[in-house]
Parts: sequence; C-alpha cells; structure tokens
Amino acid sequence: MAPESPAPRSSALAPSGASRPGGQEWAALAIFTAALALPFLTEDMLVSSIANQVLIGVMASLSVFIMLRMDLLSFATPAFMAIGGYTAVLLAMQGATNVLLLVAASFVVPALVAMPLGALVLRLRGTYFVLVTFVLTEILHLLLFMTPGLTGGSDGLAGFPAPTLFTMELADSRSVLVLAAAMALLGAIITVALISLCRQHFAAIEENEALAESLGLVVWRYKALGFVISAGIAGMAGFSLANMLLTVHPTSFGVQQAVDHLAFTVIGGRGSILGPVIGASTLVTASNFLGNQGQYAQGLFGLLLVIVALVARGGIVGAVAALFRRRRGR
Amino acid sequence: MPRRTTRGQAAAAASARRPLFAATIALAMALGGQAGAQQACEVKLGALGPMSGPAAQWGLAMLGAAELAAAEANARNFTVAGRRCTVSVVSYDTRYTAEGAAAGINNLASQGVRFVIGPVGSPEVTGAKPVATRHNLLMFANSYAKNAIGPQWPLVFHLGPGPSEWAAPIVLMAQQQFGMRSVVVVAPNDQGGTDIASVDAEVYRSLGITATEEYYQRGTTNFAPIVTRILSSRPDAVDTASSPPGDSGLIVRQLRQAGFTGPIGHLGGPGTEEIIRVAGGIDVLKNFYWYEVVPTEDPQVRAIADEYKRLLGRDAPENTNMWLWVVGARMTLRAMETAGTTTDTRKVAEALRAMPVDDPNVGRGSWAGQRFFGINQELSLPFGAGLIVDGQNRGVRRIEVGQ
Amino acid sequence: MHEFWSAAIIGVSLGAQYALLALGFTLIFGILGVINFAHGGFYALGGYVAYSAVSGLGLPYPLAVLAAVLVTAALGYVYELFVIERFVDDHLATMMLTLGLYLMISTGLLAVFGPQSPEFSFPVKGSYSIGALRIAKENLVVLAVCGCAIGAIYWLIYRTDLGRALRALADDRQVATTQGMRPRLLFPLAFGLATGLAGLTGALVTPILALSPSAGDPVLVTSFLTVILGGLGSIAGATIAALIVGFIEAYASVYLGGSAGALVLFIMVLVILLARPTGLFGRQIRGA
Repeated sequence: MAPESPAPRSSALAPSGASRPGGQEWAALAIFTAALALPFLTEDMLVSSIANQVLIGVMASLSVFIMLRMDLLSFATPAFMAIGGYTAVLLAMQGATNVLLLVAASFVVPALVAMPLGALVLRLRGTYFVLVTFVLTEILHLLLFMTPGLTGGSDGLAGFPAPTLFTMELADSRSVLVLAAAMALLGAIITVALISLCRQHFAAIEENEALAESLGLVVWRYKALGFVISAGIAGMAGFSLANMLLTVHPTSFGVQQAVDHLAFTVIGGRGSILGPVIGASTLVTASNFLGNQGQYAQGLFGLLLVIVALVARGGIVGAVAALFRRRRGR
Repeated sequence: MPRRTTRGQAAAAASARRPLFAATIALAMALGGQAGAQQACEVKLGALGPMSGPAAQWGLAMLGAAELAAAEANARNFTVAGRRCTVSVVSYDTRYTAEGAAAGINNLASQGVRFVIGPVGSPEVTGAKPVATRHNLLMFANSYAKNAIGPQWPLVFHLGPGPSEWAAPIVLMAQQQFGMRSVVVVAPNDQGGTDIASVDAEVYRSLGITATEEYYQRGTTNFAPIVTRILSSRPDAVDTASSPPGDSGLIVRQLRQAGFTGPIGHLGGPGTEEIIRVAGGIDVLKNFYWYEVVPTEDPQVRAIADEYKRLLGRDAPENTNMWLWVVGARMTLRAMETAGTTTDTRKVAEALRAMPVDDPNVGRGSWAGQRFFGINQELSLPFGAGLIVDGQNRGVRRIEVGQ
Repeated sequence: MHEFWSAAIIGVSLGAQYALLALGFTLIFGILGVINFAHGGFYALGGYVAYSAVSGLGLPYPLAVLAAVLVTAALGYVYELFVIERFVDDHLATMMLTLGLYLMISTGLLAVFGPQSPEFSFPVKGSYSIGALRIAKENLVVLAVCGCAIGAIYWLIYRTDLGRALRALADDRQVATTQGMRPRLLFPLAFGLATGLAGLTGALVTPILALSPSAGDPVLVTSFLTVILGGLGSIAGATIAALIVGFIEAYASVYLGGSAGALVLFIMVLVILLARPTGLFGRQIRGA
C-alpha cells in the first residue's frame, strides 16, 4: 500500500521552496492558542497535570516530527531536552530567573550544541543516523552521571528558584501550565514557520536526497537548519519538564523517552503537524489512565506502532484525513 | 465532597456564572472520576512506587502496606471527627523515575488523595517531593537518599531509620563474627547506589575497617569484570550495599566463582530471598550478613503477613519492606483520627510528630532524624541484622533503636 | 598480573556472547536491510522459553535450549513472513515494526512471568583453578557452545548453497533476484535464523547471569555498538568487533571501574561512526 502523506508533494522539486501554512498547520496553531486558556478554565489537578505532560510531550514530538520531515529518525531528543533543561536550571540557580531569558537560553544553547554536532552526524543517513542519535543519548546520559559537580550527577538538581516575569514569581500550578502552553505555542509557531519555509526542500530531501542534490538543492543547509531548530524545540521541552517537576534528573532523559516521543509522533501521524499534537495528547492521557499498570503502556505503544506501520501509515491524523477524503469523493 | 479544597469551591462558584466554565469543570470532574458529590467520609490513601520493572517488588510492598492498613481501619470502625470513614487505596506506577513520581503525585492529588505512602527510590523521592509540597500532600517516603527529608519539606516523613542509624550495629556484629579488616562496598552509580554506599563506607571506616567504594553502571548484566576489580585489592569482605537483589545475587555468585571466600554483606535493603535464589542457594552465600528492615523472625512481626492474608484473602507481598511500611500507613491513619481531619495535612503532620511510636507488631520506636537530616521526621523502628555462617542461617537478630 | 588474565578470559567469553548476538543482528541488516529493534526481545524470550521448559516441563537443559532456539526462530520466521516482508524496503516502517514487537515481547514477558528474576541456574557448577586464576565451568560451556554456533554460522554462510544465496542477496538484491534467488523464501529464513541465534544466546547466558523481562535492553545497546564498530552487515566485522567490545568492557571495568568502561565504549563507537561510518570492516553503506 502506498504511503499516505497529507503534505503536498507534487511540486516537490519546484524552484521556490516556501509555501503558506496549510489548513492543518493553522488548526495546530489554533489548538495551541486555545491551550493557553486552559489554565484559566479549570482548577482540576488531574486535567492540569495531564495537560502539562501533554504539552511537554507535544514539544518533544515536534522535534522528532521536524527530523522525520527529512526522513531522519532521531533518538537524540532526550539529549537536547537535557541540555535545555539543565541550562535553564543552572541559570536559575545562578539567580537569572527571568523567564524570557530562560526560555531563550533553553532554545539557543541546545541549538548551538546542535550546530557542530549536526556538521558531523548529518552526513549519515537512514539507519546510521538512527544509531548515532541513539548513541548520543546514551553518552549524554553517562556524562550527566559523571559530572556531579555541574549537573548534580545521579542526584540531579532540585530546589531551584521559580522563573520570574518582571517582578511576578511564576511558581503556582497555573503559571507552570501557562508557561508550558506558551512555550508549546512558541515551539509550534517555529515549527510551522520552518516547514512552511522549507516545505518543498524537505519534501525533496524526503523523496530522494541524491536527486534533490543533483538538481542543485543545497541539501545540507536545510538539513542543518532542521536539526538545529529541532534541537532548540527539544531544549524548550526540557525546560518545560524541569519547570513542571521542579527538578532535573538523569532518569528523565533516556532512550526510553526517545521511544515514547517517537511513538507519539508516528502514531499521531508523521505526515502532518497535527500528528504529534494528537499523538502526544492521546498517548499521554492513555498512559495516565493505566495508573499502576505503567509498564503496560509500553506494550500498548508497541501494538499501536505495529498497527500504524501495517495499516495506517499516516497515523491517526492520516487515517482520519483519508476517511474524510473518501467521504468527499463519494 | 470533603476532599475538594476551597480552591475547588471557588472555581465551582465562578463556574455558576459562566456556562463555559461549568462545562469544563464538569468535564474535568468526569475525567478525574469524581462525578457526583458524595457525603460519606472517604479517605483515599495513595500508594506510590515502582509497580513494574526491576524494582517492582518495592512498589508492590508499598501497595500491600497501604492496603493492609486500609483494611484494618475499615475493620475497626475508623472514625474521624465523629464520622465513620472508609479508607481506600489508590496506586500509581512511577516506573522508578523522577518524572513518573511527579506525574503520580499529580495524578493521586487529582483523585482526592491527601496522604501518600511512598515512593521508595531516591530518584522517585527527588521527583515527588517538590510536587507533593506544591499540593500540600503528606508523604511517607522511604528512600535512603541523603536529602530524603529536610526542614524545607515539613510534610515529608521518612519510614525507617537510614543507613546512618542501622549500619553501625550490623557492621559491629559482622566484625565480631568474621573479624574483617577491609571491605569493598559495591553499588550502582546512581543516587540509589551512591547515597547508601557512601554512608555504609563511612560507618565501616568509623569502626576501623578500611573501606573502598566501587560503583557499576546501572543495567550491568555481567559482573565478572567488576568482581575481578573488587578482588584485585584483596578485601576481607564485600558489601553489596543497595545493589538491587537481582544484581546482588549475581555479584555473590560471580564472587564465589572467582574464588572469594570472605563474608559478603548486603547493607542496603531487603531481598535476601531473591539474593539466595539468584546466587544459587544458601551454600553459595556461605558467609553473609545483611540489614533487614524489621526483625523478620519475631513472631509478632510475622503476624503481619497472616493479618494480610486474613483481611485481604491473598498472600502478602514477598518483600519484607511491607512489614515496615505498614507501620507508617497505620500511624498516618491514626494521626487523622487524632487530628480530627482527613484533609488538613498540616494538622495531621502535627499529630503525627507528637504521636508515640509503638506498633502492635513491630514494637517501640522513636522519631529521629534531627542530627542527620535536620528534621525529626524519621520513623525509627527496631530492625533486624541477619547472619549466615558457613551456609547455616543463624537468623535475624532484633536490634532496638534509641528511645 | 592475575587480573590481567582474568580480564582476558572475561573479555573472550563476553566477546563470544556478543558475537552470537551481533551476528544475528548484522545478518538481518546485511540481507534484509532491516534494523531489528526486537533483537533483545528475542534474547529475553529465549531465556524464558528455556526457563519454562526446565521448570515447567521438566526438560533437561540442553533440550530446553533447543526449544528456545526453535521457538524464537519460528516467531522470527513468522513475523518476517507475515508482517515485515511487505515493508522490507521501507526502513522507517521496519523500525516501527521491530520496535513495536520489542515493546510487546517485553510487556508480554512481564505480564506472564512477573517482574522478579526466577530461579534459573546453569546445570554445570564449580570452577577450575590455575594458580590464583579461577575459571567457572559454566563459562567454559557457554564459550564452547558460542564458539560452535559461530563456526556453524560461518559454515552455513560460506560453505552452503543457502549461504551463497543469502550472501548474493546481501550483495545486490536485484542481481541476485534476476539470477533466480527468491527473497520471499530466503528473507523469512534469514530473519528466523538470526532471531534463533538471539534466542540461543538468551537460553545460554541468562542462567549464568539473571533472567528478567527487561533482560533484552542492554542486549540491544550492545548489538548496536558491536555492529556499528564492525560495520553494518559485515559478518567478519561483527565477530571481530564483538571481541573488541568484550575486551574493552572487561579491561575498562577491571582497570577503570564500572561506568568508565561504558563511556569509553560509547565514545569510541561515536568516533568510529563519525570518522568511518562503514565501521572498521564495513563495506559500502547500503541505501537503507
């Protein structure tokens, strides 16, 4: 069966690479904007808690999603999340608690780290890229353990001051959720801007990188841009996670989490930005309701991954879109 | 519903004015499984810990303790401020991560839980504490982390004495029996390992035994190289500290295969049954000394397992931690009765601090922790020191704690 | 000095186990172009099948090992034939399919056998001593079986028609197909062979180490490292790299301590991957 990708591919090699955001992208932005209102609508702790986890999961999945636009499967999201999270926490502990600064730093520092790293790893394709990102996450995990002076080692870092906006302290649950939603919206805007700007280029790379290159597309430039921005968004997710947990701990940034984010993106649908949004929302909520059967969430993710790969290549979003098209076709 | 806080009521009042709010709140309450207000007094006890994965034993013991205490309370006419209350247990699997524990606290709090038994591991406690403090939950944690409790977390209590209290008498016992002069303390290289192994090592040194610390990568499957490294310094004894029972068993087996004949200790947590199983029998253990969270051979203590079977109709969890944790769960419920509230955790914490420690099964203990943690919220209870000499189980000696 | 020789013996026996795992992993990649994320799952499954055969059915241990090989090979064969086969050229889909299978296997083992390690010990006990050096008999048995299995694979790949067909498919699928090799017949066979090897390793190694539903996690990582080092798809590379990994793990852990060993290995692999993506003994990168 042919892979179904809602993103337009027909003009993949057209000279002008940019395009306007499509309907699904506007829809995604609308969802994130609406999420900003959520903290003011409910006081329920379960809803807030799940919403917070969903927003973080969505951000991490957006990072995976951007890489998948270029046909690259990355296991390095937790590594960049860790860099962003630890950066923000270390800054806050130094007294730099301005939230704008912290958000910026959690985006910029991982993005800066991704630049030289990208120069090295983006030469690899397909399977080799998967393996190298897998190894990167493992190495970062070990580095956290081996630098107790800076990162608290196996204890992680806890008890850092809350971020502040001018004189306001963003410490209560509502502010935490608002901040998470704001960062997710920012991440979504950046993602939409990137994939709109580079839609055709990414599509060409995904379709046939060698051909795209031979037709004069400077492939590495776009791949590097995608990798750096993907790292930045993961970094913001890391800060958001640290802000929710009030601690950064090595156990939050392992390969396990990379598998989760991958599952969110692929099961939600990797063809559209709505995919990570839907995937993270459904799966995070589902695993919350599995309660003390946490391990079974992994089995559920596994089953869904297989089903998606077998019968619904576009994930949930792709399947729904196909259903709509079929209905309209009648 | 008594457990809804005033903040919840304020939101409900606001919701009356705006239909959209009302709809959201209704949805939120349905999500939380809280649809429909109920007048009966119901206390939900949270059990938080790893219910799956390699550390599942501990979480299941935590759950068992909460279940037993709840069943006992329900059987004995548990009354708070003149109202008969039923106690139920809500559990959450942390998967042994900081993240899972924080999510678990949120999840439990949203279901109306105000009192949590657990979590167990250091990463979990690190993750759970700040979130529990944010929600004003009372938490009975059990990690051996150096910062498990502290003055900045007035609602966090600690179950059982930490290594700083129990290590010395056990090392002394082992020293009298085996007369070792040097020891290698081996543990995983994360918080669950380092925080205990380093305290153990200090205790050995304070008793005149040369101690070296050796850490391995958590997830190591073959300890042969570590064992070779340990034996290169020719220690008299090896202590597997807080290595998980599966790892400890394998370390014991590989130590014996490599020809080590000295005594082996396990000063870091229960699981001797599993260690014996993985090591390949008590003959392989040969000379072994270990910390047991409660005096497991005391018939009074063993009666807890019978009680569990009688009230819940199934066998108690194998892990003996349950026998200790049930004391914490019982005292929490007693403190609610004394304080006359099932929602105000500060009042319950006050009652708890003032409550004498005297458990019908485990015996008399005390509140400790001021010296080590800076706060007197460590439930110090009699514990056990186990000894195997020449493949003969000499049993678990009961050790009382300072009153 | 005796640590040095101990480390050497540990290195060889680790290397032999890793080689058996990496050979299966690299066969699947070389022939099908598929990264098998479920490899560790088959290892754990092999251990549990052998354990159930011994403790549940009362079979003697060698038969239990055979049962483990058959069950894991059959499962691999069937999964390739009915599931992976249709997507064999889509590397993203095959990763999802094998990753999904792995998550399901480990969850299934947890549901059936529970989280605790069962009592599953090797039938041969005791150890030989040479001076201060002690060698456990069980390690020697495992080493011998691993050696035989590795030999058998080499014989199969380099000395039989099946092996020639598999190698031809690995070299150039199109040419091989036009010459009459039938991927539809050979792919499931190769996959089953590889998962059977993982099952064999699990059945052999878990009784001398420990068995648990998550026993497969480190296996996946080690297999990854080994095949990257040796070059994806290279059989000789996987064997030599497995020994290198075994020796590094043994010597680094003995002389530098537990976590340093892992870090040395990871960084070495990262450097190799970046400087020479085809690995130490690798061929041309294949398209996948």
